[in-house]
Amino acid sequence: MKELQELHLPENLGYTEDHEWAQLTGDTIRVGVSDYAQDQLGDIVFVELPAVGDSFNRGDEFGTLESVKAVSELYLPVSGQVVAVNQELEDAPELLNEDPYSNWILEIKPAAAEEYDQLLTAAAYLELLQG
Amino acid sequence: MEAAWCDLEQMEYDRAYSLQTRLVELCRRRRQSVFILNVEHPRVFTLGRRGGREHLMVSPERLEAEGIQLVQIERGGEITYHGPGQLVLYPIFHLRSLGLSVSAYVELLEEVMLRTAADHGIRACRDPRNHGVWVGDDKLGSIGIAIRHGVTFHGLALNVNTELTPFGWINPCGLTNTRMTSFACQGQAPEPREVQQRLNHHLAALLNLTLTPTPLTTLEAALEAARKD
Repeated sequence: MKELQELHLPENLGYTEDHEWAQLTGDTIRVGVSDYAQDQLGDIVFVELPAVGDSFNRGDEFGTLESVKAVSELYLPVSGQVVAVNQELEDAPELLNEDPYSNWILEIKPAAAEEYDQLLTAAAYLELLQG
Repeated sequence: MEAAWCDLEQMEYDRAYSLQTRLVELCRRRRQSVFILNVEHPRVFTLGRRGGREHLMVSPERLEAEGIQLVQIERGGEITYHGPGQLVLYPIFHLRSLGLSVSAYVELLEEVMLRTAADHGIRACRDPRNHGVWVGDDKLGSIGIAIRHGVTFHGLALNVNTELTPFGWINPCGLTNTRMTSFACQGQAPEPREVQQRLNHHLAALLNLTLTPTPLTTLEAALEAARKD
C-alpha cells in the first residue's frame, strides 16, 4: 500500500470523495479512478462498465471494479450521458493498476456543466485522504 | 474501537442481506460504527456480480425439489453455497476508519479463518492464486466482500459440519474441480457455537475491536432511529 505522499494525483483533474476523477476534454468529461483507489483495491481482475447511451445523475452507481474477492462500486462524478466506455479494460482490467489516469473508464456528455467545478481539487482530495 | 455484535443464528439469506445493506447505509453516515453479524443461512446458492449461473450444474426444477434458493448479489467472486453448519461472518464498517486497504482486509479475513482452524487442530493454508483458506487442495472457507461508499459488507463463510453435497452441484467461485471440505471432514467435530466464538475472538483481536453483544431488536431500533434523522 502506498503512503499518501507517494500517490500520484494530477493537478488538472477533479476528484470525488469516492475516489473517482473527472477531466473536462472539449465538451465531454472523462472519468476514472484515482491512484488511491487502485492502490487500495489491489489487483483489479474485472471491470463492469455501463452501456453507451446510459444516463446517470451525479453520485449514481455506474459500474464496479472487482479485485480478488472484492467488488467496489463506482459512482459518477457529474450527471450526464455515457458517450464512450473504455472497452480495453474488459480484456485488460489490470491497466487500471498500471496507470489509473491514462486508462480512463468512461466518457460522458455532461448534463450540468457546473457540477464539474464543484469537484475536489487535487489538494482538497489529498487533504480528505489525510483526514 | 467498539463493535456491535449480533448473532442472527439461523436467518434467510434475503433477510440478512436486507439488514446488511441498511447497516451499510448507517456506517456511511456514522463512520465510527462497526457491526459484526454471525449467521447460518438455510440452503441457498448465491451468484456473485459476475454471474456464474453456467457454473450451476443442476436444473431449476432440481433446486426447487431440494428446496434450495438461488439469489443474485453483488459481492466479489462467483457462485457459492451456504447452508446450515456453515458459519457466516459479516463485518460491516468503513474500511478507512480502521485504516485498512481492501487487499489487506481480504488477507485479514483469511487469517481469522486460519487461526480458527488451528485452534481446532486443522492445518489450513492460503493459496496465493485463489483466496480463501485451504486444507491441501480442498477449500475450507471462502471470502467474498463488497464495498459501497468505502463501507465493506458480506464477509467470510467457514464450513464446520456443512453438508458438502450441494457444492458438488456447482463449480464454486468459478473454479473447475474445486473440492470443498469442512471441520467434520477433517475429523473435527466441535460445536459450531464454539467455532463461532473463536472466529469472533480472532476477528476482534486482529481488528482491535471490543465486541458488545447487541440483540437484533436493538439493531433494528438503531436503524429505525437513523431513518428518522
